[in-house]
Amino acid sequence: MSILPLQWLPLALVAAGLWLVSAGANAQQNTTVLGPSNQDLYAGANALLAGDAEEGVRLTLAGLKHEGRGRDRLTGISNLCAGYIMLEQLNTALTYCDQVIEENENHWRAYSNRALAYVMLERYEEAEQDLQKAEAIADNARTVKIVRSMLLDATDPVAPQIVIDDRRQPEKEDDE
Amino acid sequence: MTGASPKKRMMSSQLPVAVLLLLSAVAGAADEATVTAISGDTGEREPLLTVVPLYPEKARRARVEGEVQVCFNVSRSGKTSRVAVRRSTNRVFEKTSRDAVRASTYRPLAANKELSGIKTCRTFRFHLSPVAIELPEQAPG
Repeated sequence: MSILPLQWLPLALVAAGLWLVSAGANAQQNTTVLGPSNQDLYAGANALLAGDAEEGVRLTLAGLKHEGRGRDRLTGISNLCAGYIMLEQLNTALTYCDQVIEENENHWRAYSNRALAYVMLERYEEAEQDLQKAEAIADNARTVKIVRSMLLDATDPVAPQIVIDDRRQPEKEDDE
Repeated sequence: MTGASPKKRMMSSQLPVAVLLLLSAVAGAADEATVTAISGDTGEREPLLTVVPLYPEKARRARVEGEVQVCFNVSRSGKTSRVAVRRSTNRVFEKTSRDAVRASTYRPLAANKELSGIKTCRTFRFHLSPVAIELPEQAPG
């Protein structure tokens, strides 16, 4: 089913997990705060970033049991989307990405991850729509650019050509 | 016209993790660049080892093409030195072009010949050509 090498997959979790991890790191640096408020979500994000999708999904699901509402919960759901993409359970991933987007229509990471899932499912038109939304919100995000290139590689692949020209070239005259 | 030349991989060790993951996934594709070498009136020095620059993955991903002219000195033994970009359409291609020239060599100068102070120049053109996609067969209706 998948048209992409497995090495691509952790990119999705990089997109989803960074915020949660950085939040935890900041908390650890602050002496008045003992640590991340939800250890399972934090550990789950770390596991996903380390490439351990099964453990990452397990911990994130456990963390979400204790999470009511708010940003941490939404990030956890977004990480689940990324984790299931890594596990190549793409339809499950889509349900979590859909959930994030339903709750926050400006969540560019979820659009980017969902676009990646669509690319892997060869649903290129839907991937294009999601990428356009992600680009409209976060045009310079590296992961969005990467997913864009993955879509381009799937729909409009290119092969590099390099010409090495050793001929002497005449000096160009300045334009008057 | 000469044939394709040996290739040499050049990778930066300071790239972020995400980009490293990406590079590892597509390194094979980058290695499959089609190479065309054009010789002719190249001056008095004859190339011995021509190293092909890698098509920068960042440029390939963004579908960027370009051209770089690199000029340099060639020592009596055939080593290149004082490698500098003379003109370039995009900076993304400059490092890989300089690195390729630095790793390239020329035939040593014959003992009875004088070393010229004239710089040698080499132009690299980076192109991307479309690849045909094999469409899946339609299920019988």
